[in-house]
Amino acid sequence: MMPRALITVAAVAGLGLSVPAFAVDAEEIFKENDCHKCHHATKAKKGPSLAKISAKYKEKKLNEKEALKHMTKGGKVKLDDGTEEDHKVIDTKDVAVQTAVAKWMLTR
Amino acid sequence: MNKTAWIIGATTVTTIAAGCASMSPGPAVDWNKVPATKVTLFYPGQSSYQWLRSEAHAGAAKETARGDACTSCHDDPKEEQRQGAKILNGKHPLEPQAAALKGKNGHIDMTVQAAYDDKNAYLRFQYKTNNPNHPGNDYPGYRFDGKEWKAFGAMRLDKNVVAGKTPAVYENRLNIMLDDGKVPGFANQGCWLTCHDGEREMQKEGTKEEVQANELMKALKKSDVRKYLPASRTDVNDWRSGKSLDEIAKIKASGGFVDLMQWRAHRSDKAGGADDGYVLEYRNFDKGSNHFASNMDSKTKQPKFMFDPAKFGGKAFAANDYGSKKELILIKGVNAVPFDPNAGWKEGDILPQYVLSAEDAKGSAADNKAFSTWKDGLQTVVFVRPLGLVNDDDKTIKVGNVYNVGFAVHDDKMTGRGHHVSYTKTLGIGTKADIQAVKLN
Repeated sequence: MMPRALITVAAVAGLGLSVPAFAVDAEEIFKENDCHKCHHATKAKKGPSLAKISAKYKEKKLNEKEALKHMTKGGKVKLDDGTEEDHKVIDTKDVAVQTAVAKWMLTR
Repeated sequence: MNKTAWIIGATTVTTIAAGCASMSPGPAVDWNKVPATKVTLFYPGQSSYQWLRSEAHAGAAKETARGDACTSCHDDPKEEQRQGAKILNGKHPLEPQAAALKGKNGHIDMTVQAAYDDKNAYLRFQYKTNNPNHPGNDYPGYRFDGKEWKAFGAMRLDKNVVAGKTPAVYENRLNIMLDDGKVPGFANQGCWLTCHDGEREMQKEGTKEEVQANELMKALKKSDVRKYLPASRTDVNDWRSGKSLDEIAKIKASGGFVDLMQWRAHRSDKAGGADDGYVLEYRNFDKGSNHFASNMDSKTKQPKFMFDPAKFGGKAFAANDYGSKKELILIKGVNAVPFDPNAGWKEGDILPQYVLSAEDAKGSAADNKAFSTWKDGLQTVVFVRPLGLVNDDDKTIKVGNVYNVGFAVHDDKMTGRGHHVSYTKTLGIGTKADIQAVKLN
């Protein structure tokens, strides 16, 4: 079993190191938001696998900022059957947490 | 009283199969040698057939409608834990009564073992009950108010319980729903095919007037809407659109129903049985008589039986006996005697709503046996299902076949939708499946 990724981030982005850091369980937040129902680690489901997304980002030299757009702004996504659906928006406005999840996704 | 030796766990346990002289003991099964499959059940709230096909089931309405398996999306190893916790967190639309369920566990880890011999299939289940201090075998009673015997106690979601007008009392149950591949969609979506808006405690629950006016409900002589399969309706999204009894009979004859076996901590356990029923146009019992029968005489409006004071320690019990170590179960031939209206009843006396009898259980309804133990919160139940049943309301269990099964546990004073359920599993009788029944030597 893959060890759970714990990513340490500042509690409030931009407040500096004097703020106690906390660990974000990015994988758990990803799953709490039901992202895994469409995005499996390795196999294609309704959406592309995390491995495929990660490879695509590497190829296009994109980083977590691009992933954040999808996670936070929603918008339409095109499915394999040609239809379009609204992409779900992550249920947190904490940029540090969002970023941790995006980074975790892109390292699968 | 007949003592039936039954190996229900790692060690031999003597089960007192009260009042069931005709019950034949099963074989000694060394369950340590039978593979155990872990199955996690979760609290589904009001996730009906219709909700699952609505946009509220985010991103999955279309997929569910086309028949995709629940586990095609819900495939994470911790899926059931996560979903159950979410639905009970007080913010989820699938459980509008979460406030009444404080302390309820979102999921149950259960182990399932299966075996068979020339006569029967044996299914053994183990799980922890949410209450570690009581076996959950209490049941609502009839309370004497000085003039009349009135229903007392109900499950936790009942409006009178929520309002504090009657205590939360209900028996624990363990249910198996089984399909032999003839019910379209069951292999992928299991029990969720039977759970619909309009049913008891579900969204858009059918009103008394609506049920009374409905042609199918009138034909069935039913006063509420319970589990049904989509095939029994002309519009799968509307419980009111029942097909004719002739059409339903044809579906049944072609095997388009699911078997439903229920072990009940109060109403079947001490009779050594588990109900045998089926779901098609309604949640039906098989033909014959169950292990339990109503204890209310509809003509006199008085109970039919009371406790034998010499056996029970009194002719009735009181409200504060609920939850105690005293077993409040009325059993013919063991502790029940005919009700005596002149026995000096006082306000607050309570008698059980049902009386048990293994002897009275007859026909297809009495096919299943079940045995259980409960100790320190660990519930163990063994179902015994005869192989080769040919009744028209049974699924025939045969060696070499694979069945689709769904499990449900009613725990901690719940009934109706207030259960934990599993995603569909396969059960193979001597053949490869999620749960493989092994041949006993």
